[in-house]
Amino acid sequence: MSTIPRVSSAIAGEPAHFGSVLAHQPEIAESFFALYGRFWGSDVLPARIKEVARMRNARITECGFCRNVRFDKAVAQGLGEDVVDDITDGYESSGRLTDTEKAVLKFTDALIHDPELLTGDARAALQRHLSPAQIAEAGLGVTLFLALAKALITMGLEPEVMDRTVLPTPAVLEAAE
Amino acid sequence: MSGPVQAALAGDPVLAAHYADFRAKAEGALDPALAALVRQAVAQVHGMEAAPIDDSALDEGTCACLAYARRMPFEHTAISDAEAAALVTHLGEPGFVAFSVVTALADAECRAALVDLPGLAGA
Repeated sequence: MSTIPRVSSAIAGEPAHFGSVLAHQPEIAESFFALYGRFWGSDVLPARIKEVARMRNARITECGFCRNVRFDKAVAQGLGEDVVDDITDGYESSGRLTDTEKAVLKFTDALIHDPELLTGDARAALQRHLSPAQIAEAGLGVTLFLALAKALITMGLEPEVMDRTVLPTPAVLEAAE
Repeated sequence: MSGPVQAALAGDPVLAAHYADFRAKAEGALDPALAALVRQAVAQVHGMEAAPIDDSALDEGTCACLAYARRMPFEHTAISDAEAAALVTHLGEPGFVAFSVVTALADAECRAALVDLPGLAGA
């Protein structure tokens, strides 16, 4: 895994990071940020649950950038570091994660690692804890988290060193609506 | 344009439209034939139904793209700087960015199909 950017920044004066590299394709960038803002702005599935899935994806895909970023909306909904620390193998026995979050973590593992994990009880638990609309949103989220983490890693955009960073949650840009 | 994520989002037309637009913009930045081959190659790696690809009928650059795409599902952290550099040379930087997004999205969509995301979401 490379921490040397494999693509240059398309924004003068900025280092290569996901946004500045995606700027090589302005139409893709604009569409992505509109989608991502809409996704995080929707409260069909709470931001805390989305962030739990994003954290799990970050750990499995080994995306250091994703692993160190926190979105403020999820933090405000109680996703503290003690909870995040439990999003590791053995999360099933966590006393801090809710049953809904554990069901979403199993779904996340199944989607990004092994679909066989989502058979029988795990599938039933997911459908018991989440509505169809929430499952659709969770599926969109995990799909995007996984794809973006892999794109970021393969473009060499992994930071060598990065502190934990709380960022504003992506939001819908007024001009995009 | 369809796919498991698009199908699962049937109950939220606005979010579905945003997703469809993103997917279309990403694929639209590549040669349509290459985008289709990438989806096909990634689906094959996942063991999904997809027509076989005759690599011998393809040019060297396309073969390199498909070899790279086939590593995305299970070997993304093992892709070397040299492999990436070869693709940047072939596609150019903007093309490589689009290719990276399309390939990673193709992998994620295959995985969404394998867990039956539309069925889970009642679509």
